[in-house]
Amino acid sequence: MPPWAVFVLRRLLSSIVLLLLLTLITFLAFSRIPSQPASFLIDIRYATPADIAHANHVLGTDRPIYVQYGRFVWRLLHGDLGRTFRQARGGFTTPSSTGTPVAGEVLRAGAVTGAIAFGGAILLFLVSIPLGMLAASKPRSPVDRASAGLSMVGISTHPLVVALLLQLFLASKWHWLPQNGYCDFVPKTTSAQVYEPSAACSGPVGWAEHLVIPWIVFSLFFVALYSRMIRARMLEVLDEPYIRTARAKGASQRRVLFRHALPNTVLPVVTMLAMDIGTAVGICVYIEAVFRMPGLGFTTIQSMGGAGLDLPMLVGITLFTGTVIIVLNLLVDLLAVAVDPTISRSPRAGRRAFGLAPRTT
Amino acid sequence: MSTGELEARRRLPAAHAEPTVVISSPWRIGWRRFRRDRVAMASGIFLILLVLAIFPGAKLASVALGHGPDDLYPYAVGTYTLRPDGPWSWVPDTHQLSPQTSDTQIAGPVKGTPNTLFVLGADGPLGHDLFLRLLYGGRVSLEVGVGATIIALLLGVTLGVLAGWLGGLVDGAVSRLTELVMALPILLLLLMVGTGLGDGLSRFTFWGVFNDGVVQLMLLIGAFTWYYPARIARSQMLSLRNREFVEAARMVGARGTTIVRRHLFPHLLPSLVVYGTIMVATALMLEVGVTFLGAGIQLPTASWGTLLGQTWGSALNPTVNSPDNFQPWPTIAPSVAILLTVLALNQLGEGLREALDPAGVR
Repeated sequence: MPPWAVFVLRRLLSSIVLLLLLTLITFLAFSRIPSQPASFLIDIRYATPADIAHANHVLGTDRPIYVQYGRFVWRLLHGDLGRTFRQARGGFTTPSSTGTPVAGEVLRAGAVTGAIAFGGAILLFLVSIPLGMLAASKPRSPVDRASAGLSMVGISTHPLVVALLLQLFLASKWHWLPQNGYCDFVPKTTSAQVYEPSAACSGPVGWAEHLVIPWIVFSLFFVALYSRMIRARMLEVLDEPYIRTARAKGASQRRVLFRHALPNTVLPVVTMLAMDIGTAVGICVYIEAVFRMPGLGFTTIQSMGGAGLDLPMLVGITLFTGTVIIVLNLLVDLLAVAVDPTISRSPRAGRRAFGLAPRTT
Repeated sequence: MSTGELEARRRLPAAHAEPTVVISSPWRIGWRRFRRDRVAMASGIFLILLVLAIFPGAKLASVALGHGPDDLYPYAVGTYTLRPDGPWSWVPDTHQLSPQTSDTQIAGPVKGTPNTLFVLGADGPLGHDLFLRLLYGGRVSLEVGVGATIIALLLGVTLGVLAGWLGGLVDGAVSRLTELVMALPILLLLLMVGTGLGDGLSRFTFWGVFNDGVVQLMLLIGAFTWYYPARIARSQMLSLRNREFVEAARMVGARGTTIVRRHLFPHLLPSLVVYGTIMVATALMLEVGVTFLGAGIQLPTASWGTLLGQTWGSALNPTVNSPDNFQPWPTIAPSVAILLTVLALNQLGEGLREALDPAGVR
C-alpha cells in the first residue's frame, strides 16, 4: 500500500475513534446526571413503584447501559438529538410537555456562529495577506519589524478586551453601529417577529450591521498570527527555484509577488484556518457573550445559567461542535494528501508560526 | 569532575596556576544573552514591579488611602445616573446615603463628612474603589495564572515523560488523550465543568491563603492545559532517549528512574521555563474569559475578570449604555492591566527562548 493510503486510512480510523469517544463522553454526562430518569415523564412524588418501572421502560432506561448507549448513537446517526428541557419561549418543560427538538436549535445557533466565523475569516484574509506580503517583500526592514511588534501585541490582546472597547466606543458612545443582538438574514413573517427578537429587524442590511463589530473582533484576534504565518510561508516560497526563473525572465517584483508567489503562499494558509476552528469557536463564545448573539456560545451560557441546566441542549452543542471540528480537521488532512501525495504526516505537525503561543480559548 | 572540585581548583594559589578555564553553565550563558535583550529585560522588570505593586502594594495602598477594595461608597456614583466617578476624584467618606428629605430628591452627604481619594475613580454603580480593586484583582488573576501553570506543568511533564520514556501502550494512550483534548473547544468545556462543579470546590481556600474560587479555577485551567507541556516533554524524551549519553549511563548500570531524573530532566528544564512563562499568560487570559462568562471567580471578590465583567450587561450595571452616564474608565483600566501583563509575559517568554536556545549566538 502506498504511504499516502496508509496515512488516509489512519486518519479516517482515528477520526472515527475520536467521534465515538466524543459520543461516549457526552452520553455518560447525559446518563449520569439525573438520578431518577423517570421524573422526566411522571411526577415521582405521587408515583407507585410500578409507574416508575413503566416510565423507565418507556424511556428505555431499564436496559443495560451499553444498550442505551447503542440506541443513543443510533438516534444520533438519524439526526435525532432529543428535545430541550426548556421550551422555546422561556420556562422549563413540565413532565407532560416537551421542548423543541435540540437538532433544530443547534443548527440555528450554529448558523449564527458560522456567520460570525465565516465573515470574520474573509476579513482576516483581506487584512493579513497584504500585511504578510508587505513584511515578506522587505524582510528585516522597519516595516517588517513593526509588523512583528504589532503581532506580539495582537496575540497578547484578550478578544474580550477588543470586543468590549469596540462596543463601548463604536456603539455606546458614537452610535455608529448597533450595540448588540442579531438579525436574521432572511426576513420572516410578521407573526414570527412577535416571538423572536432576531426576526424583527431582519434583512441583509440589518444582518450585516449587527455583524460588523464581531467580524472585526474575530479577525483582529487572528491577524497577528496569520500575517506572520503568511510572511514566513512567503519567504520560503520566494526562495524556490521557480521564483528565480521568473526573475531571470525579467518579471517585475510586483508580478513575482502577486502572480508567482501569492497562490502558493495562500492555499496552505487557508487550510490552516480550518485547523484553527477550535480556537475560532472559543473566540465566537466571547463575541456572542459581549454582543448577545444567539450563537452556540451564548446558547451554551443560557443553557447553563439562571433557571437550571438544560442538559440535552448542552450535549447537542458539544456533539455538534466536536463533530464539526473533527470532520474539518479530517478534510484538511485529506486535502493536503490530495495536493501533495508524498505527505506522510499531518500538515499540522510542521506548523510553527510563533512556535509557542498556545491556545487561549 | 564535580563543580565543587572545579571551585576548589580555581581557588588554588597562583604559584602553580594552570591556564584559567572559565566554565560557563548554560544558565549563565543564557543570563548573559538575556541581559542584552532590552525588550525582555524591560518585561522582566515590569513583571517584578507588578508583583511588588500587587502583593505588598495592594495592602499598603489600602492603608494609605484609608479604605478597602470591597467598601461601598454610594456617593462615588452619580446620584440619579449611577455614573461612576472618573479618575482622581475625592469622594465623601461614607458608606450610606443620607436619609431622604423629600420624595423626589436624594440628599447629599451629611455636612462635614471627610473626603477620601479614588485614584482611578469608581468601578461601577456600587461605588468600589477601582484602583484598589485593580491591585487586589491582579493578585487573584496572577495567583490563578501561576497556580494553573504549575498544576499543568506537573501533570503534563509527568505524563509526557512517561509517554516518551516508556513508549508503547502508555505513549499511545497519552497521545490519543492529548489529541482528544486538543480537538475540543477548551473554553466551552471549561464553562460546562465550571458551572457543573458549582460551589463544589470554590470554598476551599487553603485555609485562607487564597480567595474563594481561586483554587477551583487553578485546578480547572490546569486540567485543560496540561497537554502542551506533555507534548513538549514527550517529544524531547523521544529525541533524547537513544542518545549516547543515555546508553553510557545505562552501561554503567544506572536505573531508569535515575537516568530520567539525573540525565534527561535537565534537558527539559529550559523549554519548560520558557513554556511556563507563556502558559502563565495563557492561564491569565483564560481566568479573565471564564470569569467574564460567569463560571470562574464570583463577585464580590475582585479579579481582572470580574472587573471586566462588571462593565457589561450584569445585573449590577443595567444603565451603562445610556449616553449621559458613559464612563469608559471601568473598562479601560482592567483592559490595559491585562494587555500589559500578558504582553510582558509573552515577551519575557520569547526572550528566555532566545537566551536559552543552545544553538543561539553566545
